[in-house]
Amino acid sequence: MKEVLENINKAFESKARLGIMSVLIVNESVDFVTLKNLLDLTDGNLASHTRSLEELGYIECRKQFIGRRPNTTFSVTEKGREAFAKHLNALEEFLQNQNI
Amino acid sequence: MENKEALDTLHDIKNLMEKSTKFLSISGISSVLVGIYACIGTGVAYNLLNANTSQRLMQICIVALVVLFFSLVTVFTMSYRKAIKVNRNIFTDKSVYRLLWNFFLPLFAGGVLCVSLLWHHHYGLTSSIMLIFYGLSLVNCSKYTYSDIRYLGYAEIFLGLIDSFVVNHALLFWVIGFGLLHIAAGIYFYYKVERRQALFSSNTRVNA
Repeated sequence: MKEVLENINKAFESKARLGIMSVLIVNESVDFVTLKNLLDLTDGNLASHTRSLEELGYIECRKQFIGRRPNTTFSVTEKGREAFAKHLNALEEFLQNQNI
Repeated sequence: MENKEALDTLHDIKNLMEKSTKFLSISGISSVLVGIYACIGTGVAYNLLNANTSQRLMQICIVALVVLFFSLVTVFTMSYRKAIKVNRNIFTDKSVYRLLWNFFLPLFAGGVLCVSLLWHHHYGLTSSIMLIFYGLSLVNCSKYTYSDIRYLGYAEIFLGLIDSFVVNHALLFWVIGFGLLHIAAGIYFYYKVERRQALFSSNTRVNA
């Protein structure tokens, strides 16, 4: 039982971070505004969550200008993909143990 | 309690993954309407063929374009209204662009090929090519919407290939492919989605 819970990643405990990862896993890259609308977050909220995920090395952030407007896009790193898969497996295992 | 939390989390993840990659505001009723337009169009075309006027090719092309126009308008307006109901703006939605691009690319290629064949007075394969390319379009865009759409695509491709071997029954295949298959798929889709949603809401009630 303890082993299962060990694999549940603390970084993904917040709903917003888990949401960011879920969206990025299935998309090549997603820009800030799309992510904000999908997850229903405020600018500041999303910025702080993406920063912490970036610091962990789970996502990459690319800043560029489209015309004069700044445009930030995010994509998931290999490390992030592994961590997310591990987290999902842990959740699944937890559910299976509960059912028995 | 913990159990429900974990289940909810998994459900949220699945929802977000779907929402960010697929455009799901497509209605079965619009497919039925498109099928009915196609049937009406075929009826008009059949009468034109029997009338044997000198400009009948031109007239049939106009009928086909009118059917296409009304079909697109119907599908767009019904999808737009359905998207508004779930608070999604189709103009800022990336998945809409991906869906449209993947749908129209094979369709455009097939359309140009048809025009070229008519230009060279090869009339025999037109309906077959329309069916095959339309089927390829459906299969190609099924990744970006309800994946069941690909079965309609397979059916259209299959029908188009049979059509290419049969001579002189183009209108019959056309009305089966664009009329009857659309109506059948629309009804199936309508009931399947309705039932899935009904099932889901009853499931969540049990869990709660």
